[in-house]
Amino acid sequence: MPKNLRATAAWRISIWTTLAFALGTAVAFSIVYFLVAQGIRERSDTWLTGEAEVLAQVSVDTPSDHLYKRIVREVAELATQEVPDERNARGERLNSVFFLATNPNNSEGPLWVGPSSKDAFVTAIQRAKLVPGPPKSIAVEGYRQTFRVVVKVQNERTVYLGLSDRGAKHLLHTLARRFLMVWGGMFLLGFLISYWSARRTLLRVERITETVARIGTEDLEERLPEPVNSDEISRLAKTFNRMLDRLQSSVNQLRTVTGAVAHDLKSPVTLIRGTLESALCDEGNEKWRDSVGEAIEGLDRLSQLLNTTLDLAEAEAGALHLDRRPVDFSDVVRQLVDIYQPAMAERHHEVTSDLEEHVVVDADLPLLNRVVSNLLENELTHLPVGCRVSIRLHSHQGSAEFVIEDNGPGFPLEIGDRAFERFVKGKHSPGHGLGLAFVDAVVQAHGGAARISESAGGGAVVTLSLPVHVLEVVST
Amino acid sequence: MRLLLVEDDVSIQQFLKRALVEAGYQVDAASTAKAGETMALEGIHDVFIIDLGLPDLDGLDLIARCRAQGSSAPVLILSARRSVDERVRGLEQGGDDYLTKPFALSELLARLRNLLRRATVPQYESVRLQAADLQLDLVRREARRGDHLLQLTPQEFSLLEYLCRNEGRVVTRTMILDHVWRMRIDPATNVVDVHIYRLRSKVDHDTPRPLIHTIRGVGYVLKNA
Repeated sequence: MPKNLRATAAWRISIWTTLAFALGTAVAFSIVYFLVAQGIRERSDTWLTGEAEVLAQVSVDTPSDHLYKRIVREVAELATQEVPDERNARGERLNSVFFLATNPNNSEGPLWVGPSSKDAFVTAIQRAKLVPGPPKSIAVEGYRQTFRVVVKVQNERTVYLGLSDRGAKHLLHTLARRFLMVWGGMFLLGFLISYWSARRTLLRVERITETVARIGTEDLEERLPEPVNSDEISRLAKTFNRMLDRLQSSVNQLRTVTGAVAHDLKSPVTLIRGTLESALCDEGNEKWRDSVGEAIEGLDRLSQLLNTTLDLAEAEAGALHLDRRPVDFSDVVRQLVDIYQPAMAERHHEVTSDLEEHVVVDADLPLLNRVVSNLLENELTHLPVGCRVSIRLHSHQGSAEFVIEDNGPGFPLEIGDRAFERFVKGKHSPGHGLGLAFVDAVVQAHGGAARISESAGGGAVVTLSLPVHVLEVVST
Repeated sequence: MRLLLVEDDVSIQQFLKRALVEAGYQVDAASTAKAGETMALEGIHDVFIIDLGLPDLDGLDLIARCRAQGSSAPVLILSARRSVDERVRGLEQGGDDYLTKPFALSELLARLRNLLRRATVPQYESVRLQAADLQLDLVRREARRGDHLLQLTPQEFSLLEYLCRNEGRVVTRTMILDHVWRMRIDPATNVVDVHIYRLRSKVDHDTPRPLIHTIRGVGYVLKNA
């Protein structure tokens, strides 16, 4: 698992898909909700209109005798019983229907069927100035929900039939609540599913990245596994493999060429050197002893240049054979400082070293030795007599920082930022300008970095950072 | 002692053969891996010297073949490359050794002696070394020149010990670095020389008969001249 979850693409993808999903479902529900609400209203309005008509007809048809009120009341009561949810769980009436019939010719006053607080309804009806037609919503004092009321006028009798919105509202509330619950669950589930699938897909990409990184620094023989299906990621793996094929063939070519050059040039040098050496071991002939010695030294310098050039060519092409093992960097530095100390003292340089103990890096030991000795050689060859050289090694946040700093004249101006390039060297430098290029290439091959800078006093500072060896915890 | 030399470059082969014979070895030489394999399987050689760049087979494969057929003689590998293949390093850990061209003859001879010593029964390790009037006590890590106790650093003592063990034989700078510090580096500067000057100023101080001599172009030798 990545350390920072929020920095992963899987996280971002799942956040965005979940948001889009949530938004989409919310819009879809709103539409459904609106349609359902409309349907309910239409249904109740149809019922109201039909029922009002029946009641108006009944009140007209019923003769106005002493039975009139009873008959109309019975019919109205029957109508109210058709309303669902009229009684609550305890069987109490919820008064969601009322019926009012007025007849100006009748002296007995209006006929009322419904809740006992008749006056509040009458006031509300009068205030609303209802006219016959489609039902209208009116608010009644003392009731939270509005009432849909329809008016029918027939033979001077006016019939009002009202139905509370409570039932419809209740239904819609239940719907909304259920939806919110389902929606929340879907939101969570959707997020989990999209995160899981994105993570699964991206893990394959991650594996490719890891493998390619490893192949890049170690063994070009290795290839990514190519899955049988041909989705985008499989194609990525295949493309990488083709690229590695090409890379490997050019690296092999380079190895063959450098190998051939090394062989062809070194065989004669070996022969010449050997012949000169055996001549030197002959006693006598003091006369040309020095010249032969000089010739051998010249040959050694030549083969050194040859070696460094070939190694550098390979290092820069990533064709170096690295045999990486955990190496105690502190030991390497201490030992090399030991070797170089007398030569430094000879030039009156004051060497101070500040080495953290047991800084372990995964490195090719012979190459690391050469890198550090190259830097010390640089100090020996480039510094004027009597300088201070400070060598430091510390591990910091998973990286081993090796710093070699002097108070000499620093890097020549003409070098600028190109100190790590091949054959770049100061005008008066006795070297061949390959040392730092080699250091840089080897450090990079190890997944590290080399930097040059200027010290406070204008001297040269070379900093190498190498990844620290990660201890594998073995559980027993 | 009988050596097998497999080297395809005829002039180097002849030159090496001559030098090795001069050093007192019997030498059989082959120019191809095939011929080398046939000779190796006779089982009469104490050390194989094998060049990696053979025309018909990689030197390492030749070694693998010989090993597979039961040959156990130690191998000294000659290679033209300095950044040596990790397989060669693997062999080195198995008790064999390698040298990169161009090499110093004295180093070749020293490594051969080393391999032969390893191949035979471990010798009784002396606790004292002596060369002329120089005495080294390896247990107490003390060196005396005549009656005079030399004030040496541990490093200088190791260096002197190495020169002493090779009394009369030339040691090169790379050999010194390899044996005293276990470092295979090839410095272009005079780091090793400075160590030798310092040692010499202590060992050969005020004496008419110096012991440590410089052989220009080759290295150093401790001998009673």
